[in-house]
Amino acid sequence: MAEDGNRDAPAAGLGALWGALRALLPRTKEELRLDLGESVERSVVLLLQQAADLFYGGRRSECLQTSEVVLDYSWEKLNTGLWQDVDKDWRRVYAFGCLLKAVCLCEAPGDATTVAAALRVCDMGLLMGAAIFDDILIKVAAVLQAHLLPGKRPAHIPAPEQPCLKKARNSHVSIPDLRSERAVPRLRCPSLQHFRKHHLVPQTPVILEGVADHWPCMKKWSLEYIQEVAGCRTVPVEVGSRYTDEEWSQRLMTVSEFIDSYVLNEPRDVGYLAQHQLFDQIPELKQDISIPDYCCLGDGEEEEITINAWFGPPGTVSPLHQDPQQNFLAQVLGRKYIRLYSPQESEAVYPHDTHLLHNTSQVRPCGIAAPRPPAVRRPGTDLCLCRWTWRIPTWRGSPGSPRPRSCPASCARESCCSSPRSTGTTCGPWT
Amino acid sequence: MAEERPGSWFGFGFCGFGQALGSGRGRQVLSPEPLRVPDAGTDICDIGSLSAAWSYTAIVSSAGRLLLSGSARGAADGCRDAWASETLRAVLRDGPGGPGPGAELQAWAPGAALRGEPLWARPAGPEEAGREDDGAACETRAGPLPLLPGARAHLSPRPPLCRPLCPALRARRLALGAEHALLLDAAGQVLSWGGGRHGQLGHGTLEAEPAPRLLEALQGLRVAAVAAGGWHSVCVGAPALKEDGAGLKGPAGPEDAAAAPFIAVQPFPALLDLPLGADAAAASCGSRHTAVVTRTGELYTWGWGKYGQLGHGDTASRDRPRRVQCFVREQLRVTAVSCGPWNTYVRAVEPGRS
Repeated sequence: MAEDGNRDAPAAGLGALWGALRALLPRTKEELRLDLGESVERSVVLLLQQAADLFYGGRRSECLQTSEVVLDYSWEKLNTGLWQDVDKDWRRVYAFGCLLKAVCLCEAPGDATTVAAALRVCDMGLLMGAAIFDDILIKVAAVLQAHLLPGKRPAHIPAPEQPCLKKARNSHVSIPDLRSERAVPRLRCPSLQHFRKHHLVPQTPVILEGVADHWPCMKKWSLEYIQEVAGCRTVPVEVGSRYTDEEWSQRLMTVSEFIDSYVLNEPRDVGYLAQHQLFDQIPELKQDISIPDYCCLGDGEEEEITINAWFGPPGTVSPLHQDPQQNFLAQVLGRKYIRLYSPQESEAVYPHDTHLLHNTSQVRPCGIAAPRPPAVRRPGTDLCLCRWTWRIPTWRGSPGSPRPRSCPASCARESCCSSPRSTGTTCGPWT
Repeated sequence: MAEERPGSWFGFGFCGFGQALGSGRGRQVLSPEPLRVPDAGTDICDIGSLSAAWSYTAIVSSAGRLLLSGSARGAADGCRDAWASETLRAVLRDGPGGPGPGAELQAWAPGAALRGEPLWARPAGPEEAGREDDGAACETRAGPLPLLPGARAHLSPRPPLCRPLCPALRARRLALGAEHALLLDAAGQVLSWGGGRHGQLGHGTLEAEPAPRLLEALQGLRVAAVAAGGWHSVCVGAPALKEDGAGLKGPAGPEDAAAAPFIAVQPFPALLDLPLGADAAAASCGSRHTAVVTRTGELYTWGWGKYGQLGHGDTASRDRPRRVQCFVREQLRVTAVSCGPWNTYVRAVEPGRS
């Protein structure tokens, strides 16, 4: 267990942590009040007030107990019905429970494990909850993370060169020969008008080069950097080769655990951090990317743009599927093979007839002559995809995935698709 | 068989709102404790029906006195049955002339302490106003709420509060989950509808069903009782049809164990064997747990146990049925069970001399 050996005075350090957290919260219990609508039952409102009273009254363990009840009850509401129908107030209640629990955990002197637990609670509030008190959970997470960093880095982090020397995990992961297929056209920094006229309006995919060259992520991002900035944060990971397989599942784990278990060290199973709004959760990473100017050409408000991250080892494959929104995909590290089919081929790809998988094909394309050209996207390129184009491998955009109760990944998915547009930023695969 | 004697009620699980449960103090009770009702005038042996919502419990004595405890408090006379949910409380009340014709079904807002005007009221047919005596079937409920008298409509915790049912269904019992419903008809067939993402409908898919659909996997088996948890369903089969006498049980839905690394979904009914070949007689489901009474008067519980709702003296969750030893130790015979979302109420008697 990682101990805080770096700090000379642990008690003072933790006192400082509590002080920093306490300073983030309103001064009086009256200010720690959520404005909730009719859908939140009166009994729950009473409980929230009780929790606030206990917190400001210094009754930490009772406050923890009450927060736990708030969390368990609102969790049930979050898991009732479709995610997009879940009343936002219940997500705010859930976030409220996470806030009090995370802060209460840190009141008494504890070790790095306690702080890591509090950070995990924060992350759950960010993943499943909705913003409260001016994004207070982001601030709490930042304080907790800063407190963790000196002692929390896992001892077995590998040497930086290792990823490049790593052999391909499976022998069948080979780079496809593109000469026999038609390539997606490439353009270098086209003007907005050219892009709109020749690609957005006629709905034809294109690879844009040079657009993301100046993004800080192109220089900064590496496994070590991601570990440092986000290693202790909890994220949803998909485990299994394809989301149409029976053994496919979603799990929550820290970014460090994900890298250790599924990216490095010859992983046994395929793990994929896929379609997750990582940059809302970890603002430090958001500073490394930009939104392409071309996004302003679409219909819809800027607030409706969602940014997802994809991060995984080589060999991740997504079944053939389609997304209802326009997408930009930016490849930061590694290479991806993508094959596209036009919407006119929809019948030929045998979509599932269930509501959950209606955007996913039942077949695995192999040697079919592709009416739409495929693409290999190299690092630093941006690919524009029009809506409803069928595309395979390497990312998933399934709006209707089942939502396992313990994992919010498909929640992010469903909320992603309720917005008219999304921008994807991809990391990986690592080759 | 033991002679019928007035039983005592016990409770365990979540009582964070001070609802009548054991001592009434503290947030949870981990082992069965005798029920203490707040009204000194009511003999706790005399409870006719009990319905528990998350934050309060409604108890109706056989003398017709309704008692609320927990986040809602109050008492009223002339009641026959009550159905408690977090957003709605339904009470079947006698008419001015006492039991029989003129009985009325009232729906109250959760905050109302049974004073003033109900949200709505409708007459209950005379044939439904009395108690439905199920004898050995050990039904806790006197009447079939949330199924409305006449079985042409049912209550719902979410608006619309009163929903029609096709009379051709001949509904006898109705159980409501967080997003689904189970219906038991006069022929012992089960129908289900609503959300299906956790496999709780039992049709073998994760698709929702907009209207009642027959549970084909149980067709031909005479089901005696249905119970619905938050996201799972349980059916108890009439043992006369099964050679070994085991009750057929179908937990179609995930068994939620908090420590389980992998959440399982069971979209078809699965036969669940109780330990020692016990026969199930009645079942009730909480939000994420299940309780079953056997023909020999034992209580088995499994599922989510964080608030002590399994009654095994701890807060562990379990995915296999386990007997509640307390009743065996005290040599009490369990005759009925009724689960609230996070707690369990049990009726038990001392067995008479044979």
